Amino acid sequence: MNYSFTLNDLLFMSQGALITFVLTISSGIIGTFIGFFIGWARSSSSKIIFYLLGIYIDIIRSVPLILQFVLFNSFMAIAGYPMDPFLSGILTLSVYISGYVAEVILAGINSVPKVTRNSSRGLGMTYLQDFIFIVIPIGFKNIFPSWTGLMLGLMKDTSLIAVMGATPPELLRSSQIIINRVHEPILILLGAGVFYYVMCYLITYLAEKYEEKNHIKSMEIR
Amino acid sequence: MIKIKDVHKSYGDLKVLDGIDLEVNNGEVVCLVGASGSGKSTLLLCVNALEGIDKGEVLVDEISVHDKNTNQNELRKKLGIVFQQFNTFPHLTALNNVSLALKLVLKMSKKESNDLAEEHLIKVGLKEKLNHYPSELSGGQQQRLAIARALAMSPSYLLLDEITSALDPELVGEVLDTLRMLADEGMTMIVVTHEIPFAREVANRVAFFHEGKIHEIGSPKDLISNPKKIRTKEFLSKIL
Repeated sequence: MNYSFTLNDLLFMSQGALITFVLTISSGIIGTFIGFFIGWARSSSSKIIFYLLGIYIDIIRSVPLILQFVLFNSFMAIAGYPMDPFLSGILTLSVYISGYVAEVILAGINSVPKVTRNSSRGLGMTYLQDFIFIVIPIGFKNIFPSWTGLMLGLMKDTSLIAVMGATPPELLRSSQIIINRVHEPILILLGAGVFYYVMCYLITYLAEKYEEKNHIKSMEIR
Repeated sequence: MIKIKDVHKSYGDLKVLDGIDLEVNNGEVVCLVGASGSGKSTLLLCVNALEGIDKGEVLVDEISVHDKNTNQNELRKKLGIVFQQFNTFPHLTALNNVSLALKLVLKMSKKESNDLAEEHLIKVGLKEKLNHYPSELSGGQQQRLAIARALAMSPSYLLLDEITSALDPELVGEVLDTLRMLADEGMTMIVVTHEIPFAREVANRVAFFHEGKIHEIGSPKDLISNPKKIRTKEFLSKIL
């Protein structure tokens, strides 16, 4: 058996990084979708909806993610619907991040001044026209940096999926597999850190480019 | 014609409008003056149904504004409204600020709406600013943009809510000039304002608001130069 770090190990880690990326993208999209509707619903005038969905958000944000993974996976098994850990991991991550996204979306909607919305409604726009053409574009620019931050956090949180032994292994799990054989934990974990950094940097870079292109920073609401 | 009949409105325990009666004829300019919190701005929001009312009735061209069966989106096409600030859509150029509602509400084609938007922006003196964003405009230009946007919808009435109050003094004149132009063209307007000299010059009638009521109403000559009631006198002596 070969006890040294080989090119194959590097490929294995790259594959893990790819899985991390897939986990982030898929749960990021699903979670943003769910969170968008929850945040939107909470912006409505109904106090009941506001508080009921508030409970959902509170629970999600209060229970550690690692517990949510285990509980959800076990629950599905007990309920008679055992799920592939990878899939249940994506679902758990999606629900988890949706709680945070919902809060950011609500803040974005509330960041649009009431007067600006009165202006569009005053021109005869319907509620939906105002929401789509005024609230979403203005709110989106206001929350884009916070949302990017959530996605970076989500990427790092995907590593917790390892507790369920999900396959294919994501970046941290694949690093551990290599460590078990090579016994160079510090070096390999350092390498994994570099992978995470590069991926996060990529997201941050793209987000910044996007902001520059769309004048988000220079745009003030007056 | 706008008829406001015995309109009451409260926010919780706070009584904002306490029985307002006012009729505004076509072609008339009515200025509403009074201290902050006396209900002037709320009344404007009630006229185009951006706020509900507790009691009474508002009729615009004989259509009851707050009736359940009234299509308020349809009604608002007739009633242009401009506020003190935060009017403009910061993510859209001046041209698109004006053309958006033309496309969405009046279902105009892209070309039609852009041509009409351009025409109205030129009219308020923003020919050079068509493709500028609101953040690149001065406060006075932003207010003129908001006026152009309201006018492009060809409203029958214009509701103006302290549209010069947030402006630097040197920018107030250009916005008031635009209003003078509109008054000369016969636009029906309800103008909430603190610009008493402007009210004296342009208004057909001036109403003084006090604690949710119209305390005194009359021609600018009577109300501003010879107020009969003591509250009106006090208010005017403070502001003039």
